[in-house]
Parts: sequence; C-alpha cells; structure tokens
Amino acid sequence: MSRIMITGMGIISAIGTSVMENRESLKNERSGISELELYSTAYAGILPCGEIKITTEDLNKKLFASPDPTITRTGLLVLHAAEEAVRDSALTHEQLTSMDTALVGATTVGGMCLTDEIFHDAHEKISGSPYTSSYDYASVTLVAQKRFGILGEISTINTACSSSANAILFGARLIKHGFAKRAIVGGADSLAKFTINGFNALNILSRERCAPFDRDRNGLNLGEGAAFLVLEREEDVKGKKVYAELSGFGNSNDAFHPSSISAEGEGPYLSMDEALGRAGLNATEISYINAHGTGTENNDETESRAMQRLFGTPPPFASTKSFTGHTLGASGAIEAVYSILGIVHQELYPSLQFKEPIPSTRFVPVKHYRQQAIQHVMSNSFGFGGNCTTLIFSKV
Amino acid sequence: MLYVHNTICFSPQQIYPDTELNQLTESKDNQLLVKEPAYSTIPPGVLRRMGKAVRMSVGAALPLLKEVPQPDGIIIGTANGGIEDCIKFLNQIIEYKEGLLAPGNFVQSTSNAPAAQIALITKNKNYNSTKTHRGLAFENALLDAAMLLEENQDGCYLVGSVDEISTYNFNIDRLAGCFREEIVSNRHLFDHSLAGTIAGEGTLMGLMSNQPAGAFAKLDALQTIHTTDEGLVLETLKQFLQKNGFSGEAPGLLITGENGDARQEKYYQTTESFFPESTTIVRFKHLSGEYCTASSFGFWLATEILRTGKIPDIALKKAGHADYRKILLYNTYQGLQHSFMLLSAPEGRM
Repeated sequence: MSRIMITGMGIISAIGTSVMENRESLKNERSGISELELYSTAYAGILPCGEIKITTEDLNKKLFASPDPTITRTGLLVLHAAEEAVRDSALTHEQLTSMDTALVGATTVGGMCLTDEIFHDAHEKISGSPYTSSYDYASVTLVAQKRFGILGEISTINTACSSSANAILFGARLIKHGFAKRAIVGGADSLAKFTINGFNALNILSRERCAPFDRDRNGLNLGEGAAFLVLEREEDVKGKKVYAELSGFGNSNDAFHPSSISAEGEGPYLSMDEALGRAGLNATEISYINAHGTGTENNDETESRAMQRLFGTPPPFASTKSFTGHTLGASGAIEAVYSILGIVHQELYPSLQFKEPIPSTRFVPVKHYRQQAIQHVMSNSFGFGGNCTTLIFSKV
Repeated sequence: MLYVHNTICFSPQQIYPDTELNQLTESKDNQLLVKEPAYSTIPPGVLRRMGKAVRMSVGAALPLLKEVPQPDGIIIGTANGGIEDCIKFLNQIIEYKEGLLAPGNFVQSTSNAPAAQIALITKNKNYNSTKTHRGLAFENALLDAAMLLEENQDGCYLVGSVDEISTYNFNIDRLAGCFREEIVSNRHLFDHSLAGTIAGEGTLMGLMSNQPAGAFAKLDALQTIHTTDEGLVLETLKQFLQKNGFSGEAPGLLITGENGDARQEKYYQTTESFFPESTTIVRFKHLSGEYCTASSFGFWLATEILRTGKIPDIALKKAGHADYRKILLYNTYQGLQHSFMLLSAPEGRM
C-alpha cells in the first residue's frame, strides 16, 4: 500500500487566515481568544471565543465574484482553507476533475451555525430563507465539490470533535485502497449560538482564556476555523514539495459516556496505541504530541492518564487550543496543520496560560515556543460519543 | 467487496420481525413514518431518553449483536440523525433567550449519537465512524466497511443507516421544494409526473464480512458520482459495468430509487434506457418514501430478493426475465448525488 504524503495545506482560524499567518502567531505566542464581536449572542462579552474577525459578508465577497446568498459561514471557511491547500499543492484543473481525486470534509455543526434562520425555517409555513438546502453537514463539503468540480469519491464525516481527524484518516485509506490517487481532506466549524449554548449548558465553557493541562483549568473556549490538507501517493509526488508523511492513524471508541471520557482514558489510549502500531513506531520515537487538551476538567485529566499509560513520561506535548479555542469538527485538521508545521520548521508550539501541573500526573506541557529536532508528531482528537482518533505525521 | 449477513430493517412497511410488503402501508400527509417495534431489548428508562434516530438504530442493531457481540467496528451513515434533538435545543435557545438550558437535547443532537450509543451499550471500543454525506451517507459507510475488510480479512462489521422525519426537517425540506404540494398517497406516487415526492424514514443495520458462508448477498462493487448531467451519469454507469465484468450484457434486475419527482425522472429514464428490454425493473420509494439514506432500503430490498428469489409484486415496475442473481441498484438524491451498487447471490446460492 502506498505511503501517504502531504503536499498542500490551507487554514483559517482565529490566529490567521493562511498557513503563514497561523505559524507567525504560534511562534509569537499570540492567542486568538478574545471577546466576541461578530456574533449576536447573550454571551458576547462573557464567554471569550476564538473568533475569526472577518464578517461572513466579507468572506463571501472575497471568495465569490458575485456573493452567493445560499452559503453559510461554515461553507465559506471550507472554501477559504481548501482553496489555499489546493493552490499550495498546485493541483491542476485536470487533476481536480479526474475521477481519482477524492474530497473528504468534516463538520459537527455544518449549516446549523445559522441558529435563528433554521429556527425560522423549521416553523415557517409560507416562504423559506435562502438557506433551506444549506443546513446539513454535507452542504459545507458540497461547496468545495462545486468550486473544484470534484467527480471522485466524496464524503462528509461527523464524529463530533474528532470529525476532521477522521476525514484525514478516511482520505488516506481511500488512497491506500486505490479508490483515489489524491485526496483533499479536512474540516470546518463556525461559532454558533447553538454550540455556545450547548457547551454552556454542560458547564464546560471558561469565562477566561482556557488553560489546558493546568491544575486550575476551568473549561474550554469555543473557536471557529477550517483546515484542509492535500494527500498524495508517494509515487506521485516526485519533484513536488512534500511537507510530511501521514505515517499512522488510530480510531477507537471510549464506550463510557455520551459526553465525557473514562477515568483511565481507555479510548484515547487505544487510538494512540493503534496509531503507533500502524506507523511501526515505539512510544519513545514520538517527538511531540499535539494533545486534544480542551482545558476541561475531564479531558485534560483523562488524556494525561492515557499518555501516562502509554508513554510513562510523555514526550513534549501542548494544546494549541489555547491559541484557537476548540474549533470542534475543524480541530483535528487545524492541529494536523500545526503538527506538520512543527515538522517542517523543526519547532514546538506551546500551551498558553499553563501555571501548575495536574496533581495526579505532574505533567508539564511545552510552555514556550522553541526549536527542536522533530521526527514524529502525534495529534489527538477526541469527541462526544467517545469517538477518539489519533494521527501521526513523520518527517520525510 | 463484502458479504451481507443478517440485516434488520425498520421501515414504513411491515418488514420486522415478519416481512409483508404486499400489504402497502399508506402515507399520510406526504409522510411515511417508520413502523417501530416494541424495542424489548432496550431498558425502558434508557429508551425514554433516546431520540428517534438513536432509538431506531439501537433497536435494529442490538438483536444483530446477539449473534456477533463485538463486531470489529460500527459504521453508520446518516444525513440528519439527531435533527429532532437539534431543533428541540434550538427551540430552547430561542424560547429561553439563551438562559439556563438543559443539555440533554444538545448531547443527542450530534449525528454520531447512533453509532456512539450502540458502542456505549455494547461496550464496543473498536473502530467507530459516522458518515453524513447527505444522499451518499450510507454508500460512504459501505465503502468504509469494504476497506476495513480488506485490512482485516477475518473481520465482521456492523454497518447501517438511519434517518428520521421530524416535523422540523420536514418543514425545512418542504420549503426547499422537496415534496409534492398536493397531498398524494404513496399508492399513486407514480401516477402523475409532478415536482416533489413524499418523505420517508428508516434504518437498516447489517453484519458484513468476507465470509460467503451463511451470507444473504454479496456487494460486488459500488460507484458514486456528483453531477447534474444525465449524460455523465450514463457514462459512469457504462464504465462501472464494464469495469465489473459486464461487457455487452447487463444485470438481469435493475432496482431504482425512482421517487415520482418529475425533476429527477431524466436520471432514472436514462439509466433504464441503457438496459435491454428483457430487464426486470423494481422500484421502492413508494414503500420507503424519500430520505437521504433511502438507498439503504433499496439495498435491503436487493438482499431480500437475493435471499428469497422472489420479487414482491408491489415493488415491480416491469417484469422481464427471471434471472435475479445479479442486481444493479441505482439511486439519486436530488439529481446531484448518484450511486450505483452491484449485488449478487453469494456463491452456491440460487
């Protein structure tokens, strides 16, 4: 089976509208978590979020010659990131429209970001909003399908907060099994009244900037964004810029609770262990872990326990959610981009706001940006419903 | 690709536990609601808290998992699983002006809840994924299972689909123009060529493996495409059949997702016209209604025909020759998403 190479990346998040801008923010330890400015919610000014400070209208104008009124903010984020990735990989129109180019998107909210509009359309009797075909998950992937004219395998995945990690995994397997030669893979989610109120009802949103892996952490910050990768077969990338290899992946279910992870971190342990096995690596060979690290009581404790079980003492690790907020279905792809950037530039990105370690493990994340030799990076994504996925990227 | 072992299908028609398709259950107000069983395998306290999509999929999966308690993975296709809870939570947000809300609907609103609940109830820590690609969500799940079976030759996977009608998504799809403006009975769905169809819902759960022994059917190949051009749909079909060993001939039985929507007729007519006059043609949307994963009802019907060797009269569009050992299933969702599936009787059957 072919080895899978990453030849293109695109990203938009609270810390930048391109790969280069995101890296600058990570290097300069510049967080994107701030007061909400663009969303009308009762929690603006109370719950800080990783908001992209560009209006939906401006995004639409930037991406469409004549603004398309049916496309949601999530769809626009998809297009923004996917276009950068496709450009970066220099995929031709011929390649994009051939039957062997796959597209795999992921989202947890999809078009449901339009909380008020969907409420209207669910109850309205006479005339709908322009969005009646744009609320579902697939709608955001289909925006990219239409833009690029993709004819190959297309999928949309929703495994809650591990969605886009599973999109990367699924794209890689489509290539390995010969259903595609290349795949554009990633995910997106927008901030929404829907998720702000949902996570708030669960009492897991922090009123300050989140502090992943800190003893006194008190919840997560929601974020928004999108990221896409271009995956290609090793035999097709001769002469092309190659960022890294996707060397391993694992998927398991914690099977414990609908919205929290088991005390011993069984699902996280199994997905990390499977990814190591597929990559043919020992735990000691991992140079850095981009942790799921949401900043909630439950996640950081259980993820630490799982790392302890697998690694004893883990390699340097951090949660870049302290920069972007938790971007839900986009987080796996966003953090894949950061993991790959770390490999390309041989550098480690920190966890912000960390002060004191969790008493049970005493693990201390990377606190400041630094340069370091990196060979293999592990990236974790865990979601509601116990859906755990781990990816491993390696230097080529 | 894979062998289909036991399946359980809940649909608007009488299928489980006993199948009686020829007594048509009629639609009401352009909706065909699923006939739900008593769910004796789910504890009542747990059942009460489940949304309809979760309830249907768990209810169909658990009896299968008595045979194979720990499949190597659970893969479900659902375009809108959880929509009812989703909009119930939206209603709370608006009604209580973002005040103190109960999180129950929110947690159940994510569409991975069916696959996650099955894993949770059966303590299954293996591969778990949910495909949500609208009209191809079930096809995506099948493809994933086929790849997993390549990687794990001795494996067995629970593969399924679920989608529900809620008053909310029915209303949204109605505003989008998906359904007939006038009330039409499913009995007369194909009588007039008009825009729109009727809504349906259902779930299919099945155990899939590489083992022919005891299998009902074999999925030989699967092809999907996104296009609104019926010429490209036809070209895709030709190449698909050629690639899978049909040069000059075609499978004896064609099952289509024809749904009475005049705007989608051209795709079904184009596909039908490619097949020889002697081909038997079967259709099913008057039984299942239209929903994003309705192709899974067609898939179930194909496996049922392969298992029994009989075509229910009510599903027959055109009688042709009686060789049903190979079936082509074609479905389109809204004329943009198309799928072709080739199914056959497992070696040694029929």
